[in-house]
Amino acid sequence: MQATTKKAQKLITREHKRIGPGQIILLFLVLLFTVFCFAPVLLVFISAFTDEMYIVQHGFTFFPGTHWSMNGMNSVLRYGGQLATSYAVTIGITVIGTFVGLLIMSMYAYSISRPGFRLAGFLSVFVLIPMLFNGGQLSGYIIFTSWYGLKDSLLLLILPLCVTTMNVIILRTYIANSIPGELMEAATIDGAGDYRTFFQITLPLLKPSLAAVGFMMATAYWNDWQNAQLYITSNNKKPLQLLLINIQKSIEFLLNNNNVPASVRAAMGGTIPQYSSTMATVVIVIAPIMVVYPFFQKYFVKGLTVGSVKG
Amino acid sequence: MQKGFFANIWKHRAHVVMALPAFLVLFFIMYVPMVGLVLAFKKYDYAAGLFASPWVGLENFKFLIASKGEFYTMTKNTLMYYFIFTAVGTVLNVAIAIAIDQLAFKRMAKTMQTLMIIPVFISYAAVQFIVFAFLDRNTGMINNVFGTNYRFYAKAGIGYWPLILTVVKVWKDTGYGSVLYMSVLSGIDTSLYEAADIDGANKFQQIRHITIPSLIPMVTVMLLLSVGNVMHSDTGLFYQVTRNIGQLYDKTEVIDSYVLNSILNSGNFGYTAAASLFQSVVGLLLMLFANWMVRKIEPENALF
Repeated sequence: MQATTKKAQKLITREHKRIGPGQIILLFLVLLFTVFCFAPVLLVFISAFTDEMYIVQHGFTFFPGTHWSMNGMNSVLRYGGQLATSYAVTIGITVIGTFVGLLIMSMYAYSISRPGFRLAGFLSVFVLIPMLFNGGQLSGYIIFTSWYGLKDSLLLLILPLCVTTMNVIILRTYIANSIPGELMEAATIDGAGDYRTFFQITLPLLKPSLAAVGFMMATAYWNDWQNAQLYITSNNKKPLQLLLINIQKSIEFLLNNNNVPASVRAAMGGTIPQYSSTMATVVIVIAPIMVVYPFFQKYFVKGLTVGSVKG
Repeated sequence: MQKGFFANIWKHRAHVVMALPAFLVLFFIMYVPMVGLVLAFKKYDYAAGLFASPWVGLENFKFLIASKGEFYTMTKNTLMYYFIFTAVGTVLNVAIAIAIDQLAFKRMAKTMQTLMIIPVFISYAAVQFIVFAFLDRNTGMINNVFGTNYRFYAKAGIGYWPLILTVVKVWKDTGYGSVLYMSVLSGIDTSLYEAADIDGANKFQQIRHITIPSLIPMVTVMLLLSVGNVMHSDTGLFYQVTRNIGQLYDKTEVIDSYVLNSILNSGNFGYTAAASLFQSVVGLLLMLFANWMVRKIEPENALF
């Protein structure tokens, strides 16, 4: 406590002259909320490396003392094949979905913001309606599976999240407000065709907005469990989230089917380290986003702001 | 006129081509499935398919209303959680935004904000394991720390779920939710605060008379826009975090999770479609109403 206060005082003198006790109380409160938000995330990481027997006996804890263990993580990594497959599926749909989505949505947003284009009004309404009224999960399920015959298809993990009303609005707003129309006109006068104007002038200028929307899309793809649970049945198409949902089944299945060396089994005491390996799987699923996110933070703060104001 | 229209389209043919891919995705993914809602007036026959299934008029709706229990419960829960989450969420989003904005330790504030936002990026499929680590009867931290023996995941623990779900929701969304308000706060002209300072206003007076009033428009807009989503819930929260335990349905089943369960367990698609249609129509009306209100109050924030 003493140390904290001292540190705080040091900060005070450096950063600002007039910092009263009010600031310290405020700092304490915000810090408390930060701990509330971050501690559960920390618990996942700690539990992933806690000895299974310790969790069984003492429950999940932030302070496992000396009872650290790699068994949980090892047993997950021994999923081997399935884990690699699921990772590949998730990365694949995330990259393809985000890339395709950004491209076709920005082309759409660009088209509907062209002055003098008579279909622009219709197309704007067309993209808006799904936000107001849609068939819901059940209708989608019936149409996708029985009409399109897409049961167990990766397309159903990609297409439903590919084009969203809000993202088109955000991109259109950015084009309308932050990219000067004269630039596009000048390009046209200089002889650039419509496609060239879009790809060489508009798209590069759209980058901040693309980063914001792209990151949000990537997160949505990475975290999508619902479509996977509804449509995906075969193991070689299972994304990480579905693996996580079926975790109990997965752990047993994988441990029983893969060649787990006898030494490892012995080290686990013959039991499946279910608590620590569950958490280890959670770590494997959430870690990539947490690593990438700080780099995108400034963009999505900006993107969010732009999106909230309609042009 | 007509000729001029086609001439215009021809002139803009590149734009038509560029709009086409997204148009097609929207058409096939969002528009065609709307047809599926006719199921609300049919008795679904798996073999016959959507169109050949026999019409039953309003039977499905009659059944829904007659079977008071479940339909009533899930509608009530949907509304109840909407109100709790919106009220608690809005207050906390604004409070956190103001707190971070007022904090003089700027660099620390930034780091804390970064940490606060992290939960929003964790899927509910993963969140349920985190919640489990706190609530499990044997290994859960709550029971171990307090030496209690609560059975949160059983009938006996049902009373705690509104609180649990609210805490999880707050944990997941507050950090991210406050970002929007922070961007409004950073747009306030600092000379306003300086002037207030000179006039002898203390911090609380400044917050009361400068900060909060400048947030009101955004709060109003966000509240009104959320009205359009009253009938929709965070499916993952109610399906994953509760582990879809039937004993807890009285307090945890919402329309979205009911529909999901019905699809996964091949429930009665006729009733489910009726519930979906009810959800979609009420949602549409609320959305139109909300937008109309926003248009009156803050025209540039209206969606359409």
